[in-house]
Amino acid sequence: MPEDLDLLRGTLDLLILKTLSWGPMHGLAVLRWIEQVTGQRLQITEGALYPALHRMEQKGWLGADWGYTERNREAKFYKLTAAGRRQLTTELSKWSRYTEAVNLVITAQGAR
Amino acid sequence: MSNGRDDKRPRLFRLPTSRRRLRGDIDRELRFHIEGRIEELIAGGLTREQAEREVTQRFGDVSVVREQLEEIDTMTHRRREIGEWRSALARDLGHAVRGLALRPAFATVVVLTLGLGIGATTAIYALLDSVVLRPLPYPNASRLVYIEHPVPGIETNAKWRMSQAGYFFFRKNSKAFDDIAVYSESEASLVTPDAAERVRAAAVSGNFFQVVGTRPFLGRSFTDADNGPNAAPVALLGYAFWRQRFNADARVVGTSVSLGSRPFTIVGVAPPKLNLPDYDAQIWLPLELDPDAPAVNSHYLDGIARLRLGVTVSAAQADAARLTSRLPEEFPRAYGPGFMRESRFGVLVSPLRDIVIGGMSRTLWILLGAVSIVMLIAFANVANLFLVRAEARRRETDIRLALGADRLHLAGHYVTESALLALIGGAIAVGLAYGAIRFLIILNPSSVPRLAELSLGWQAGVVALALALGAGIALGLLPLTGLVLGRDRDSTLREGGRTQTASRAQLSARSALVVTQMALAVVLLAAAGLMLRSFQRLRSVQPGFDATGVLTFEIALPSSRYVPRVPGPERYVPVFRYHRELAQRLAALPGVTGVGMTRSLALKDGDGCALVFVKDRSSTRETAPCVGNVIAGPGYFATLGIPIRGRVPTWADVEEQTGAVVVSKALAEHMWPGEDPIGKELRPNGVGEPWYHVAGVTGDVLTRGLDQPPSEIVYYPMVPMEGAPLWSPPTRATIVIRTRNTDPLLLAPAARRVVTTLDREVPVATVQTMETIVDRATAKTTFAMLLLASAGTMALVLSAVGIYGVISYTVAQRRSEIGVRMALGAPAAQVGRMVVAQSMRVAAVGIAIGLVGALAATRVLQSLLFGVSPTDPFTLSGVTLVLLMLGALAAYAPARRATKVDPVEVLRRD
Repeated sequence: MPEDLDLLRGTLDLLILKTLSWGPMHGLAVLRWIEQVTGQRLQITEGALYPALHRMEQKGWLGADWGYTERNREAKFYKLTAAGRRQLTTELSKWSRYTEAVNLVITAQGAR
Repeated sequence: MSNGRDDKRPRLFRLPTSRRRLRGDIDRELRFHIEGRIEELIAGGLTREQAEREVTQRFGDVSVVREQLEEIDTMTHRRREIGEWRSALARDLGHAVRGLALRPAFATVVVLTLGLGIGATTAIYALLDSVVLRPLPYPNASRLVYIEHPVPGIETNAKWRMSQAGYFFFRKNSKAFDDIAVYSESEASLVTPDAAERVRAAAVSGNFFQVVGTRPFLGRSFTDADNGPNAAPVALLGYAFWRQRFNADARVVGTSVSLGSRPFTIVGVAPPKLNLPDYDAQIWLPLELDPDAPAVNSHYLDGIARLRLGVTVSAAQADAARLTSRLPEEFPRAYGPGFMRESRFGVLVSPLRDIVIGGMSRTLWILLGAVSIVMLIAFANVANLFLVRAEARRRETDIRLALGADRLHLAGHYVTESALLALIGGAIAVGLAYGAIRFLIILNPSSVPRLAELSLGWQAGVVALALALGAGIALGLLPLTGLVLGRDRDSTLREGGRTQTASRAQLSARSALVVTQMALAVVLLAAAGLMLRSFQRLRSVQPGFDATGVLTFEIALPSSRYVPRVPGPERYVPVFRYHRELAQRLAALPGVTGVGMTRSLALKDGDGCALVFVKDRSSTRETAPCVGNVIAGPGYFATLGIPIRGRVPTWADVEEQTGAVVVSKALAEHMWPGEDPIGKELRPNGVGEPWYHVAGVTGDVLTRGLDQPPSEIVYYPMVPMEGAPLWSPPTRATIVIRTRNTDPLLLAPAARRVVTTLDREVPVATVQTMETIVDRATAKTTFAMLLLASAGTMALVLSAVGIYGVISYTVAQRRSEIGVRMALGAPAAQVGRMVVAQSMRVAAVGIAIGLVGALAATRVLQSLLFGVSPTDPFTLSGVTLVLLMLGALAAYAPARRATKVDPVEVLRRD
């Protein structure tokens, strides 16, 4: 099994928002997508995913609707709302500023 | 269409099932996830059991996640609901505001009508609350009672206060009270280097502060020792007086003030807002009380007691009655069995509040009833407006319903609109009530007790808003009654909005409202009419004197200088000389045509009560009648224009103690029926020499009140005959001056100067005209009459508007019928008569019902009425006539409109 990366606090929201930006998905699909894209390197537990989804639904970033999968199973599909889309933009820019800053530190020359 | 409605409907019932549904959704979501995972693993080659184990291991404790999710979702759900409710309210409010903005006339009329109706009620409620409902401003005031002695054998409604001996006896032996205190409203002359000033003083027993439950703001309160006959003179300053006159200087305690040329040590300052019951005292003094003084039948002390905890007023009454029955054996000289029997001397313990409020409680409840009726009439008018509005909106409503609008939603919509109007009306009402209360405080009617405590309390505000809200909701639901009762709404749509049946039902509802309005107006106008008649009767009563052009004021001579401590007539000389000199100097003022003095001015001070013995009659202390005794100087009768037969004692008579007195006609007729009273002899204090002789007979004077029978009075001279003293020298007196000035008050500064020049230490107080005193005697009736008359006027106007509205409406409804009639040849006059007749019919039914109500209701007015019966036919027929005329007048404009109907146009439209 490939090594697991610990998820940085606060990045789960960003991952979910980004994932859902491709279209409505149910929770399992979100999980699968992230695992697939990261080549199983990033493992998210259900115990973290579902509370995050519901909390984001409460905040109005996500909308939820019951629908049917391709195999005709009933599932709860999440999709980005307009507010969610705005949130994604903010989170993305926050993330890039964060990584830039971290990069600056770790690539800087040693202090004298 | 109906599908859309069904989709919405369950929302309303989501609340009770929400929990179960949330849980089910979470379970479904998680189950889907776990199943999906298992299938994934099975596809990857695991057995089902292995897959399940793997998934469970990875997932961890499902129930923890489930709980977490449930918590989040419950919160989400709640927030969403609040949000929905808010936006619905905002939407309805927006709708309401826009809807009303389109009909500003409707909105204005509704708001003003409601504001007026509720405002009047709120104002009277605030008055009732301040005067009657709120406890007196003492701690645990409900345990304070007042003790007095009814003497029905002497005068039917008279009640005597406590005597000194009675007070000490009660205080020592009663079992029902923690303690008893006595007080007496009094006055003192505060002498400063510049002048003397009359101050309102409260003379109290040493325990007064403890009994009412308060302690001084500064210094000490009085003790029993301060009441002793030889105690050093001390005083407490009233709080407000201390702030005003002594600049709230705490160092004033311990210094002394000069009261009536005697120095009093200030030992403290009374707490803020402490007053005698309904008497605003500026300075507090100890009463002079002597437990060892012989019992005298002199009742001059107001008795106030604090009930022992848990003792009821009736138990205290029984205790006081037990003590009263022991008075003859304890004090046989003052309260002998004969006296007790003849006077039917009793005792009455009543809550202090009842004494302070007096008859005002009843008056105010009656007024609250009256303004409530006005409010109901106002509501009826507004209800009528809402019915018209609903009618106009019926098409709109029906279309909405047909399109699938939710009935409850519609209800919310209407209620929001009416509640908005009603709340604005309520706010106006509070404003009006506040204004009315301010106005009343400025007006300061003497008949209303506790006016100093009057304010618009929060209770009144709550009442106003509750009334407004209640009215708002009821009015909002009114147009819906038709909807909920399942009116056939399709018919409206089919008939293009002109339905006869529905509007007929509406019309009868509106007529019922107008009939109710009329009936209520009759009751109110009857009450107002009766009060007006009472007022007229009372004002037309001849008091027995001529009040115009008479100035009155009070003076008080310092006893220390004017009452020498010598026996016999010599004691009276300084006071007599002062009064004679004062009368001469005042008479010399320009414009003055008469000057007189008295110790008890008619209508202001009453006439007291003293036994009178007639020569050659075997009357004893027990059988002698108790009649008014008034000390009056020589010029008194002429100045007040009291007619006199015979002779009035002159200054010389008084000085030489010739024993000449004047009696009132009523007394003469009672004592010597059929005989000439002049020359008859009488005396006030038991049988024996010397006798006074009647020199003149005066016309009757209503000294005790305009609604009282004329008093039997003996007018004694200020200096008694030797050996027959009853009264002390009149150091306190009221001076009356008749002037040619149109406004007697213009004379006041000159008169005051005369008094001050004569003796700088004599203060002048209570300067007022005799006419003011007469006005005050009718104040209670005037107050009730004015308020009832305003209520009646409002009722009249509102009813007129109501009946006008309905008649106009019917004329509009019946346009086509009228058109047909006219086309068939009915003359215009006949059509007009038809409309007027309809209006009169509605009015007549209302009046008939109202008259029955008035006969029942005006009985509660009995105690306020004077010289008119509650079922006075003149008043009732007057009211009937006024309202019938109102019915005819209200129909005038609609009738004219009906006669202008153009048959051709009407028929073409159909």
